[in-house]
Amino acid sequence: MKDYSIITPEGTKDLLFEECMANRTVSTTLGKVFAQRGFHEVLTPGIEFYDLFAEEKSGIPMEYMFKMSDSKGRLMVVRPDSTLPIARMAATRLMHEKHPLRLYYNQRVYRYNPGLTGRSNEVMQTGIELIGAKGLRADLEAITTAIEALSKCVPDYRIELGNAEFFRIMAKSLPVNDDLREEIRMLIESKNYSALNSLLDTLEQTQAVSVIRRLPRLFGGIEVLDEACKLCDDEAALDRLAYTREIYNALSKLGLGDRLMIDLGLVQRNDYYSDIVFSGYVSGSGEPVLIGGRYDKLLDNFDAPAPAIGFGINVDALASVMLNRGNVPQKPKPSVLVHSEPGFEIEAIKYTNALSEAKVFAENSVFETLEEAMAYAREKGIRKLTIVGEEIKTMNTGE
Amino acid sequence: MKPLRIALTKGRLEKDTIGLLESAGFDCTAVREKGRKLILPIKGTNIEVVLAKAADVITYVENGVCDLGVVGKDTIMENGRSFYEILDLGFGKCRFALAGKEGTDFFSGYKAITIATKYPNVTRSFFEGKGMDIRIIKIEGSVELAPLLGLSDAIVDIVETGSTLKENGLVIIEDNVAPISARLIANTASLKLRKAEIEELADKMEKERKKSL
Repeated sequence: MKDYSIITPEGTKDLLFEECMANRTVSTTLGKVFAQRGFHEVLTPGIEFYDLFAEEKSGIPMEYMFKMSDSKGRLMVVRPDSTLPIARMAATRLMHEKHPLRLYYNQRVYRYNPGLTGRSNEVMQTGIELIGAKGLRADLEAITTAIEALSKCVPDYRIELGNAEFFRIMAKSLPVNDDLREEIRMLIESKNYSALNSLLDTLEQTQAVSVIRRLPRLFGGIEVLDEACKLCDDEAALDRLAYTREIYNALSKLGLGDRLMIDLGLVQRNDYYSDIVFSGYVSGSGEPVLIGGRYDKLLDNFDAPAPAIGFGINVDALASVMLNRGNVPQKPKPSVLVHSEPGFEIEAIKYTNALSEAKVFAENSVFETLEEAMAYAREKGIRKLTIVGEEIKTMNTGE
Repeated sequence: MKPLRIALTKGRLEKDTIGLLESAGFDCTAVREKGRKLILPIKGTNIEVVLAKAADVITYVENGVCDLGVVGKDTIMENGRSFYEILDLGFGKCRFALAGKEGTDFFSGYKAITIATKYPNVTRSFFEGKGMDIRIIKIEGSVELAPLLGLSDAIVDIVETGSTLKENGLVIIEDNVAPISARLIANTASLKLRKAEIEELADKMEKERKKSL
């Protein structure tokens, strides 16, 4: 049998030093933002029953999940998403907790990607879920948290607003069956103008059809909402547009300028989004680094209906952008190497700890001889070598 | 400012796109006299042309190292993943067709059917739509050989005029598998981050395309 012990599986990698630090820096920076805004961290199991993520609920195709069976033969998956387990948590263990629940997570999610495209199957994701609150205030709380989170990492992010309900209302009034509706949704999601047009040409030309036809192009500034309003006169749809405008106007007080955008064609596969949706982009990353939205129906799956909004941030993508720009701290270098003479091992460790407490970055030498310790210090660029014996001597290493 | 990179599928689509860009007023001299270079600037603009194989155009655009790409719908159907398809360029027209040996009835009998193709995903979804279970063999070169040598019952391939099929004694069984032409695709983040530049270029290309219709 072929021995696979020295390679990592497709779509995974070891994160070393700078890369690992970049990852941790993003995670801790974002965690701090969330905690300061009153969100509390939770962790969910790495493996779950498949039923929790069945496609009707999660919108994640079965073939994208890592599956296995437990000792009773039940189908299990490696966590492909964090929102569903947290919704479950809210509906079960937190069911008697006072709403709203303010939760955040920072954990890996796993999905198969089509092979050999350079994408990871294992992604560190962090995000918040605000459960049991609806309306303008809750939406602004979530979106401004997203904005604050991105702005703590990079200055040139963009936030884009959409409305899943607006699309749903329009799509519902199309004279088509569900399969065709899904196809239309996919064409809008991929901004496939030409295919969408030829598909819509075969339908009766209603107002909904002309709105849907324009939908992939309805992205940009606030003028997009003006145009959409002109195109449609469905009251419920206009209502959603007015609400999107309200959010936009409120957010524009943050002075984001053209970093705040609108895309009414933002119709994600995750069918659980029910009203306002938003994405975050950063130049240097080919995919959105942040995806979120309101999901008022998701908790129905657990017989504990509650309105909710949340978002997830791709920590790896953000970390790699920051790393490419050189915006992350270098691997820290000790300034002192502490070497012990035979019989003074514990004293040396105590001395190292004392230095650390005095905020001097010191490393305890594990070498047998002073020569080896000195060679190591020079190789690693450690400036000073302290020898702990009958007396304590410090010398320069010449680095 | 980082250049706007557009990846072109080497060969005919590259020539047609360059033609379109030139009639839209872009100076593509560097691309015409490329030598062995693979990244070429368009003079007087912030645009760079990258030349790549069809499937690689998708990979570059999807990963965001190129903002735009020109690629055939056939490649998109076979490898399509997440990017925006923003314009049908109208050239590079052909279609997917199912073809078999002359004088055989493809749909009769109970024997498991074998299809040779360069496009296994397209083939699989086409027969899935028909509720037919088939065996697919991937062929890299002239697919027409497979039924002639007895490796497969039929082929699924792109057909322009059908003359290659005819010369080899193959007939089209069904040719509405899908119509194909060249498409302009855009990276999802690029379209949002560089909307104005991309729309300006796409509009110019669309105007030229409409003129030539």
